[in-house]
Amino acid sequence: MARTSSSGSSRRDVLKLAGLATAAGFGVRPAFSQSPGHVVVVGGGFGGATAAKYLRRAGVDVTLIETNATFATCPFSNTVLGGINEIDAITHGYDGLAAHGVQVVPDTVTGINAANKSVSLQGGTAVSYDRLILSPGIDFKWGEIEGYDEAAAEVMPHAWKAGAQTELLRRQLIAMDDGGVVAIAAPGNPFRCPPGPYERASLIAHYLKTHKPASKVLILDSKDSFSKQGLFQAGWAELYGDMIEWVPFSSGGNVARVDPATMTVYTDFDTHVVNVANIIPAQRSNRLVDTADLANGGDWCPINQLTFESTVQPGIHILGDASIAGAMPKSGFSANAQAKVCAAAIAALLRGDEPPSPSFINTCYSLVGPDYGISVAAVYRLNAEGAIAGVEGAGGVSPGDANAEFRKMEAEYARGWYASITSDMFG
Amino acid sequence: MADGITRVAVPETAAKGEIIEIKALASHPMDNGFMFRDNGTRIPRWIIHRFEVDYNDELIFAADWHVAISANPYISFHTIATESGTINFRWFDDNGDIYTESAKITVV
Amino acid sequence: MRALLISIFGMCMLATAAAADETAPANLANACAGCHGTDGKSPGQIPMIAGMAAADLAAELRQFKNDQKAATVMNRIAKGYTEAEIDAIANYFGGM
Ligand SMILES: Cc1cc2nc3c(=O)[nH]c(=O)nc-3n(C[C@H](O)[C@H](O)[C@H](O)COP(=O)(O)OP(=O)(O)OC[C@H]3O[C@@H](n4cnc5c(N)ncnc54)[C@H](O)[C@@H]3O)c2cc1C
Ligand code: HEC
Repeated sequence: MARTSSSGSSRRDVLKLAGLATAAGFGVRPAFSQSPGHVVVVGGGFGGATAAKYLRRAGVDVTLIETNATFATCPFSNTVLGGINEIDAITHGYDGLAAHGVQVVPDTVTGINAANKSVSLQGGTAVSYDRLILSPGIDFKWGEIEGYDEAAAEVMPHAWKAGAQTELLRRQLIAMDDGGVVAIAAPGNPFRCPPGPYERASLIAHYLKTHKPASKVLILDSKDSFSKQGLFQAGWAELYGDMIEWVPFSSGGNVARVDPATMTVYTDFDTHVVNVANIIPAQRSNRLVDTADLANGGDWCPINQLTFESTVQPGIHILGDASIAGAMPKSGFSANAQAKVCAAAIAALLRGDEPPSPSFINTCYSLVGPDYGISVAAVYRLNAEGAIAGVEGAGGVSPGDANAEFRKMEAEYARGWYASITSDMFG
Repeated sequence: MADGITRVAVPETAAKGEIIEIKALASHPMDNGFMFRDNGTRIPRWIIHRFEVDYNDELIFAADWHVAISANPYISFHTIATESGTINFRWFDDNGDIYTESAKITVV
Repeated sequence: MRALLISIFGMCMLATAAAADETAPANLANACAGCHGTDGKSPGQIPMIAGMAAADLAAELRQFKNDQKAATVMNRIAKGYTEAEIDAIANYFGGM
């Protein structure tokens, strides 16, 4: 009963018992007698929370280890910047998962011991697993933009992990005088949420238009094209006139250096002194994966596309942004879809069955304005080479010639998507 | 040129003997001649086929480009700051056009 | 040698058999939950599909797939499924 009831024993005691039970190889698990095994999930975000819930639905014994007591979603964090939502509206707790029987452990994993199948926690304990799922998200490549490190991010926020950084950027926007310039540095591919910087530019412009109409949003881009570009640019012209300026790579948009002390952003060819600087740096898989060398010297983790099991270390599955999932973009929707396929595969593997063949959807909704939504969708399956590939003839972006009513409906459905996916993760 | 944009970046000042970075960018479609328009006609080859850089009239960098180079070629290279003067950049395209830029450097 | 060849051949057969399998109905249907909520129980603005009869659900999906019904996104999604998969998805939700 140690895992399900924590009455009378501290969290650490519970963990020790759990570790002992697994280490001693107890044939029958006390809490979940039907469980075919114990899965440890690291990271309670889009991939991890979903995986934990769906593993429980499949009768598997699950421990979820997550650093933070609550999770602020990156999706819809741009609405906080735009003054449409407060941070509380996008912050979720883990009680729902606990009610499904997930053992939720608020701690940080510091190491992975693949040989004896355990993870070590900052709190000093270790937890054993039969299979491990990592969905730890991203880390930044500090220093790739000269002068941009963790200290600089306190002056020039990235806000690419939601929470305190989102609130910092929001406060800076509120404090800025009318007529100011907000610079957004957008990274090269691949990165978390390809349409994200452009939705952000849109919703910041929405805020400025209503509160500081003489201000500008300057997107300095390391790319020459971006997701849903035609739809975004048409929407910008319609809603914000020339408030948003996009400088592509080929016009010298690549940000090479920043100086937080003087609020200066240097591209390869120009110098911009700005009022607010949102620097979104280049990204890689969360550095936790390096403790088991799962990225194999690269930035992202190679995986078997049927089971999400690492091709480097057996028994460890990697989901979401940290993984290389064929043609799927790094999105919350993708991580959620992958988690359900991975949970089904693990439940089958633990029971000695073949993993069922997968199918995925990804849709990224973006708000150009509160009543102006656009989307890009795709359906995925494995191709002949065993890689996740888009199904031809399906998917694509919202029509370019849609009317205002259609854009408004997609904005409503974007909100509906948010309600649904967060309930699929945490409910 | 597509929209006539060439950009260069050279440090305004440098110490004698210092290794400096020079950057140059041209906005150009670099059509490889293998693509077709929607109506089925071929888009002719149109690329920048050579790029040259002089430092006080001495050639310090040159490159011959072929059809595999993607649109908007961007070059960055290092050289040693030897003396004050002018750095001249030249891009040669298939139409016989030559685009030029120049930048001054003060070596102290 | 002969035995080895046969067993390798046998393994290949197994591998292709697994890959050629029909996509598991639960895997097909769970992907819909990203928008329609767990088991199709939508808490927000996207229509609830939990509780729909299998025949109605299949008919709706075919209309979306063939552009016979206007939609913002469902036509783009329904085009990703074969006739057999549409029936499998409909039966999965309908049988809940
Ligand atoms: C501004 C913005 C807007 C976005 N909008 C959308 C959108 O509209 N739609 C969409 O689909 N996607 C969107 N995304 C992308 C989405 O946020 C990510 O793709 C998604 O969060 C990836 O899920 P994940 O599980 O890989 O990582 P995350 O969701 O980041 O979860 C990782 C979790 O792991 C925890 N963790 C990390 N390391 C450890 C450790 N060592 N020990 C314990 N816990 C740890 C972290 O605290 C975190 O909670 C957006 C992203 C941004 C930045
Ligand atoms: C990107 C979000 C999204 C995904 C993913 C999605 N749907 Fe939908 N669904 C919608 C929206 C939005 C509507 C309303 C019609 C429209 O505008 O597209 C809808 C409508 C429907 C309807 C009609 C319901 C009614 O009462 O009219 C059915 C049936 C349906 N979806 C089934 C599915 C199935 C099955 C899947 C998975 C294969 C799926 N949907 C995946 C967003 C989604």
